[in-house]
Amino acid sequence: MEPILSIRGLEKSFGDLKVLKGIDLDVQRGEVVCIIGASGSGKSTLLRCLNLLEEPESGQILFNGEDLTDIDTDLDGLRQKIGMVFQSFNLFNNKNVLDNCTLAPMSVRRIPRQQAEETAIRHLEAVGLKDFIRADSRRLSGGQKQRVAIARALCMEPEIMLFDEPTSALDPEIVGEVLDVMRNLARQGMTMVVVTHEMAFAREVSDRIVFMDQGVILEQGTPAEVFGNPKEARTREFLSRYLEDKAL
Amino acid sequence: MNTFLSILRSLPGDLIRWCGGKLTAAARFAAADHPYVYLSGCALILTDLLVYVFSDEYGFFLSCTPLVMAAFALCAVFALAALAALVSKRRLKRRYRSQSRFCTPAARRAARYGSYAVWAVTALVLADRIHVLCRLIRSVMAMDTNPDPFFQAMVYMFYNSRSLFLTGLWTTLRLAFFGTIFGFILAIGLVFLRIQTPTSRDRDHIKFVKILCSRFAALYATVIRGTPMMLQAFIIYYVGFGLFTDHTELTITEINSIWSFFIAGLTTVSLNSAAYLSEVLRGGVESIDAGQTEAARSLGMSAWQAMMKVVFPQALKNAIPAIGNEMIINIKDSSVLNCIGVVELMYAATSVAGIYYKNLPNYVSAALIYLIMTCIISAFLNALSRRLSLSTYRGIPSSN
Ligand SMILES: Nc1ncnc2c1ncn2[C@@H]1O[C@H](COP(=O)(O)OP(=O)(O)OP(=O)(O)O)[C@@H](O)[C@H]1O
Ligand SMILES: [Mg+2]
Repeated sequence: MEPILSIRGLEKSFGDLKVLKGIDLDVQRGEVVCIIGASGSGKSTLLRCLNLLEEPESGQILFNGEDLTDIDTDLDGLRQKIGMVFQSFNLFNNKNVLDNCTLAPMSVRRIPRQQAEETAIRHLEAVGLKDFIRADSRRLSGGQKQRVAIARALCMEPEIMLFDEPTSALDPEIVGEVLDVMRNLARQGMTMVVVTHEMAFAREVSDRIVFMDQGVILEQGTPAEVFGNPKEARTREFLSRYLEDKAL
Repeated sequence: MNTFLSILRSLPGDLIRWCGGKLTAAARFAAADHPYVYLSGCALILTDLLVYVFSDEYGFFLSCTPLVMAAFALCAVFALAALAALVSKRRLKRRYRSQSRFCTPAARRAARYGSYAVWAVTALVLADRIHVLCRLIRSVMAMDTNPDPFFQAMVYMFYNSRSLFLTGLWTTLRLAFFGTIFGFILAIGLVFLRIQTPTSRDRDHIKFVKILCSRFAALYATVIRGTPMMLQAFIIYYVGFGLFTDHTELTITEINSIWSFFIAGLTTVSLNSAAYLSEVLRGGVESIDAGQTEAARSLGMSAWQAMMKVVFPQALKNAIPAIGNEMIINIKDSSVLNCIGVVELMYAATSVAGIYYKNLPNYVSAALIYLIMTCIISAFLNALSRRLSLSTYRGIPSSN
């Protein structure tokens, strides 16, 4: 089967700093891939390259066979199919919860307001925010904001969802409510690429773990392989730091 | 030498702080236990000062000698009693409350009624001064030669040239209001040129156009901000005039009726405000978190949509106080347009000064009118931004 996302030889630098040093990665339809690795290893940069929020210097990103890095592809069109959830939520501050969710469907996909609102309410209900549709998005708690952000991305009916440390900015006691939403999404068969430091979640939900180190994919495999029996010394070292304070 | 300088430099601040500290402490000492007495003590001082305003004129109250004598006696008794109380408080310190005769219920009641009486005297003196003022103004209005004393001359000239002053005032208000509005509209256009940044996905000619646009807007802001508005007014007026003489067959009077001083002045103010407001808006756009744009783009919105639907509305809301400030600045800065003959308030004041060969009183009148206008408008704008829960800017903004 053709992978939904296929990355070949991806390289990216910021000035003199080479952050991605040739990444190859395939993501199959319906697969949940978790990317783990030390801070600064390039996880966020890789994820942001996947919808070209960062422009790579070289390499290809094929989404359903279309190359995003090609100057002639309809980037805005492809981005509609690639949902993204940010660490800092990035809800539109000038819109309430419902308008956050309907803005893109209405302005990009030209869906009539009523239909867009029905879809939005359905997704907001699914993330447990039915009572907040008219709320000011700035007044929500972090966990609520992140769930709105997920619903907002889902309203575009994406084929793949990218998550960049969606729970890192949250208080420990509300991390769970966001992870629950993501767990549900995975169960419904959504293709997901998740950068996370939540090792227990990664182990439970993902089909594949990708360990990044200094701009390369050092190791990948099923959670059992990577967590249970890491091949690389650096992976072991990285995981042991988590195992110390949290029993996996 | 250096130590001397540094002492000298730090002196005013320290001195003010020291004096301020002593003063507050003294006020607190005086106010404790007898707030009524303290307040009426202040009223007494105020009364004393009021009497010196137009000190050679007496109104209905001060001209009635027995009343004034009675009031004076009352105030003197009150002041002496208050002084005695302060001395006693200073001596008894903590025991003052419990032991002093000034703290018995009867004494407190007496102090309260006494302070009411002092306030009444203050109110009467104030009313007396207002009475004198009205009388003075009325008498000045009836005069047919310019009186000598400063205030009378000011009133006389303002009253007799009121239509010129009012024309000036009205023109100033129109210049500031419409100048800010037109400037704002232009600024929106400019800021869109300014924020064009070429991306690696743009074709070469698009990149070129974008760079050109943004450079043009930056250059415009630099030129406007880097030259005095008075000079711009001259240049704009003569450029406009030159265009009409070169390209039309109109006579000078006809040109002056179309390309009037006012229109040239309004153009100047608008172009100026456009430059400043475009910088404000650009700052507003840049202050919006990049995550807002990224979120919009990640949903498939184009750069233009992200700007129009997400970033710019937020920047605009943050810029509203600055627009109000620009209006106040325009009220003041439009005064330079008198140089090209726009009949605004400054021009009016200068003309009146020329008619009567008397400068200062007219400029003080103009200053008062400017001050009243800016205070009213800034109070109004502050109320508005509080209503819209925007960040409020306290005080009156100074020139760009
Ligand atoms: N816009 C940028 N400009 C310059 N350097 C950047 C930029 N973004 C990231 N970097 C650098 O690239 C490197 C990789 O950053 P990246 O955010 O991808 O790491 P990460 O693996 O996501 O780390 P974390 O776990 O802390 O999020 C870091 O050294 C970072 O300083
Ligand atoms: Mg990161």
